[in-house]
Amino acid sequence: MLNGKHITLGIESSCDETAIGIVANGREMLANVISSQIDIHTEYGGVVPEIASRKHLENINAVIDKALEEAGCTIDDVDLIGVAYGPGLVGALLIGVAAAKAIAYAKDIPLVGVNHMHGHIAANYIEHLELEPPFMGLVVSGGHTNIINVKEYNTCEKLGGTRDDAAGEAFDKVARVIGLGYPGGPKVDKAAKSGNKDAVAFKRVYLENGSYDFSFSGLKTQALNYINTERQTGREINVNDLAASFQEAVVEVLVNKAVGAALEFGQKRIVMAGGVSSNSRLRELITEEAAKHGIEICVPSPILCTDNGVMIACSAYYAHLKGESSGYDMDAVPGLEF
Amino acid sequence: MLILALETTGRYGSAAVIDESGKVSASSSSSEKNHLKDIIHLADESISKAGAAKKDITHVAASVGPGSFTGIRIGVTTARTLSQILGLPCISVSSLEAMALRAKAYAEAEGCTYICSIINARRRQTYGGIWKIENGELTEYAEQKQCMIEDILEMAEKLDGRLCFTGDGIDAYESIISEGLKAGTYALASQEIRYQHAAEVAMIAKKKSEAGDVLEYGELLPNYMRLSEAEQRLREGTLSKKISR
Repeated sequence: MLNGKHITLGIESSCDETAIGIVANGREMLANVISSQIDIHTEYGGVVPEIASRKHLENINAVIDKALEEAGCTIDDVDLIGVAYGPGLVGALLIGVAAAKAIAYAKDIPLVGVNHMHGHIAANYIEHLELEPPFMGLVVSGGHTNIINVKEYNTCEKLGGTRDDAAGEAFDKVARVIGLGYPGGPKVDKAAKSGNKDAVAFKRVYLENGSYDFSFSGLKTQALNYINTERQTGREINVNDLAASFQEAVVEVLVNKAVGAALEFGQKRIVMAGGVSSNSRLRELITEEAAKHGIEICVPSPILCTDNGVMIACSAYYAHLKGESSGYDMDAVPGLEF
Repeated sequence: MLILALETTGRYGSAAVIDESGKVSASSSSSEKNHLKDIIHLADESISKAGAAKKDITHVAASVGPGSFTGIRIGVTTARTLSQILGLPCISVSSLEAMALRAKAYAEAEGCTYICSIINARRRQTYGGIWKIENGELTEYAEQKQCMIEDILEMAEKLDGRLCFTGDGIDAYESIISEGLKAGTYALASQEIRYQHAAEVAMIAKKKSEAGDVLEYGELLPNYMRLSEAEQRLREGTLSKKISR
């Protein structure tokens, strides 16, 4: 307890970010420390699991110290430990899980394992203080593309997901193909700002009627084919146009499916989550489309869209309120479902 | 003084507590590669067996490798974090040295003056080290490193006394050893004392703490003895393009 408030410390290490967040009474952010490994992995063109695991170990304790300092509290003030135990890279997850258990054991405080994806949705509770379930969730990141019917805190029904590449993965792959490099999301977003979204005709893949699933793997092939054709005919490739056109193809499908789901299930709000929800065109188009149907859009600010510990702490707090807890035998679950 | 020692670099995890008098209380897991799920229970059980409580612990020691990369990380992360949160110093112990100590009595009974710990690092590679038994104590005779099993045999041939092998490297390379060395010049540690265990990690940690060889939690680091595959390839210039998110 700190100044009469319940304190939760959240640990996130599912991919290449070692992050600790501290929240008061579940929703008030006291600290958000994120140690990113992106510079290291950029050299390899993507996240190398073994290197990510090694770096998490070297970073995590200093990140804990820094978060406590930022929150102006000590470990004695912490009432609850939350940790992302999946989905993610198993070697990366287990660093967070091992650290979380050690803290909980050393201090005799309760421990809750959090689904990383529930965490992404919970990031919205931090900045939208009035937000409460139910609502429709659109979770878009490097590893996930999901439409989620959120019924209660941490109770999520998955309506659809990607059948091949995640949206963020498509951004990374196409960015590599067109020479923008890694990480693809922010680079495509930036290039697209000075490009023409109608310049190249990318297919919009909607799959069967009524499906909330996605398929983005064809976009990379289309980008490659376009580049080859242009090269063969000696035309110069306009990278900005290509980026804008590709981005529009992804964003349009995401928006139409998310708005469609909200309408079908009678939800008045769409809550976005995951790294790709930082994409400026996605934010613009979904706000525009949702407004036509009186649907409100919630998006966390970019710092809470990326992997962070605050969202894990928030989700853990609500799990704790429901009486959930995890034992010291908690395992990391790389393929954890929603 | 009461040291908690963790060993998760091998197939079965264990924890042990050693007190001032050298009395060891240990707990071992019976589930294979179950370190993450077991480690806190093992630690807590060994503290209870010692008739102590968490608050009585004065040092946290970990076997830092070599061994299973994942196992190493579970033990080291747990030890670092316990040490950070409880405000205790850490002690770093080599898995190979602890294995040599575990095989010492057996080696002496077999008339050996040297002990070679070998961990299977696959494709004829080992993580290995050689210790000499002098006046009942172990002294490091050959530097601990990653090398081919053939390199170990070459060193073994030149020793002036009988050698006892220990570690799971025996399970992988027993036939290579028996073909490469003259019968009678070496012994193989029995199954019961062949694999890493926290009891010896605790014993070595006690000596180190008495010698003042302790660390801050941030200084306790794994000893993988090997770069990650991606780093190796980057150095060799053979990094594949298939590594991606």
